[in-house]
Amino acid sequence: MRLLRAYLRGLWDGKLLLGYTLLASLSLLILAPFLMIALRSVGKGWFGRLWLPPELTLEWYRWAVEVGNIPEVMKNTLIIGVIAVAVSTVIGIFAGWAFGRRQMPGKEVLMALILLPRMIPPITYALGVAKIFYTLDLVDTYLGVALAHVSVCAPYAILVLSATFEGLDERVLEAAGVCGANTLKRFFYVVLPLIMPGILASMIFSFTHSYNEFTLTLLTYGPHTVTLPIRTYLAVGDGYWEITSAMAVIMVLPSLAILAMIQRRAEPEKLVGGFKGV
Amino acid sequence: MTDAMIEFRDVTKRYGPLLANDHLSLTIRRGELMTLLGPSGCGKTTALRCLTGYVRPDEGRVFIDGADVTDLPTHQRELGMVFQNFALFPHMTVQDNVGFPLMIRNLSRAERDARVAQALRLVRLEGYAAHYPRQLSGGQQQRVGLARALVYRPKVLLLDEPLSNLDAKLREEMRFEIKEVVTRLGITALYVTHDQGEALALSDRVAIMNRGRLEQVGTPEEIYEHPQSRFVAEFIGLSNFLEGSVLAVDGETMRVGIGELGVTVPALPNVGAGQRVLLFLRPSEVELLRPGDPGGTNVFEARVEKTTYLGDTIDYRLVFGQDLPLRVQTDAQRRFAPGAEVRIRLPRIRCWAMTSG
Repeated sequence: MRLLRAYLRGLWDGKLLLGYTLLASLSLLILAPFLMIALRSVGKGWFGRLWLPPELTLEWYRWAVEVGNIPEVMKNTLIIGVIAVAVSTVIGIFAGWAFGRRQMPGKEVLMALILLPRMIPPITYALGVAKIFYTLDLVDTYLGVALAHVSVCAPYAILVLSATFEGLDERVLEAAGVCGANTLKRFFYVVLPLIMPGILASMIFSFTHSYNEFTLTLLTYGPHTVTLPIRTYLAVGDGYWEITSAMAVIMVLPSLAILAMIQRRAEPEKLVGGFKGV
Repeated sequence: MTDAMIEFRDVTKRYGPLLANDHLSLTIRRGELMTLLGPSGCGKTTALRCLTGYVRPDEGRVFIDGADVTDLPTHQRELGMVFQNFALFPHMTVQDNVGFPLMIRNLSRAERDARVAQALRLVRLEGYAAHYPRQLSGGQQQRVGLARALVYRPKVLLLDEPLSNLDAKLREEMRFEIKEVVTRLGITALYVTHDQGEALALSDRVAIMNRGRLEQVGTPEEIYEHPQSRFVAEFIGLSNFLEGSVLAVDGETMRVGIGELGVTVPALPNVGAGQRVLLFLRPSEVELLRPGDPGGTNVFEARVEKTTYLGDTIDYRLVFGQDLPLRVQTDAQRRFAPGAEVRIRLPRIRCWAMTSG
């Protein structure tokens, strides 16, 4: 107790080292499960109550690639992701323009309607989607799974892009018109550069959601459209913990890459708001 | 070749039941700086937008340099415009902002650079070409706006409340700067504002609008000294109004009865004895005399009700005649306390009679 009090007093006094230890422990707490998986994916003969694996190996990754067919699965995931992003972004641009720029009756109701699928429990929603897709023969197609993902991604794209278009200053467009720019030039020289951060943000959001989507995929995938989360889940069912861990680690890599990209290229909060005024 | 650079011919614009522009007809001459002045909601912005093409009038036509532009899209109207909120392109540098109209017109890079440099020199922003708008102060941003509007030598320069977003001191400074640049280039300019001080200081002519209609068009002197309606008089400065009826007309002057008092004022054409008129007088034009000072034409007894010290002037609320209120502003040298008996003289040529309320 006395030790804790001394520690807190140290924090209060602004002792840098103490602050860092606290931060590090917190991060460790959040990261612990992931570290566990990472360790497991390279550990061999790690059973019982051992704290650390007795032997390190990359064998599980080879298994994941060869038996788990990860390259194929990764390809599926990316293709589905790209389709979902493209469709959501196009929907987001048009709907965002309407929500952000136009005064129309029932705007709030429409917006609520668009967000409604996110309020329904995913499994309920996914069952409905599956029923429709079986009728339309969309199950186990890239387009089908991607469209199912769009139901999750598009609301985010619409939200982000509505805010972006709302932040677009009407008078800046007017100024471009007075300066002699026709509709096309106004769009390419003024509108597009100004909404680009919003489009990028919406694309990143959409991709992350498609990439991580589980419930909707579970009810619309087939042998040709297995995605990474599904593959990993199935591997858990098969009981190969080490291979599953390797897959889980592989699955994290693209997310980390995107995160690094955002961190380096732009401040995320700037992406969401777009350029607000001057 | 007419003398008119901009012409509104019978322009009418309705927003539902609201008449934003009610048969507006106004001509702006070549090389003239005309101010469209009025309170918010008077239709001056609608008129400007009819000119830029962002609003299509329901009736009437708009002409620029003799050509009917009513159906021409904005980007073909060859306008330069300065906006209240600057409306610069936030993603472009000052250089690219000012060069934008030239780029749209496909000018060569070299020509563009030369003209941008020239425009920036005109607004004294030479060193700022590489800055982004957000790195500049409000005044600097508005000067970029001015440079962008002028860089391709448009036929007409439009200024939409360009100073309202600046603080008072800068506003005064920019006022002269705009006036100087416009005069130097000899460009026709339409300046929209609700600030009568700006309108008087800047304009060759002022057009005062109220509820979608033109109240009066004239030089700043005409507008200030000889308003044709109570609205104009009140909008353009402090005013005293005295209601009366004409007693007699005698050549250049006429006597107007206000209660029991008779005031001699310049005669109005087509006004005869018995007609109701409204006398108008600026508070700064009433002379305050001491009780002992000699009388004469338009000299009346008055009593000080209230005084307010304004620094360089003192503001008096007086009553004279049968409880007629009168506001007077004089320099601070002569002071009277509340309750003091004074004499006032209403200078004959400063009393302006008008027939319309």
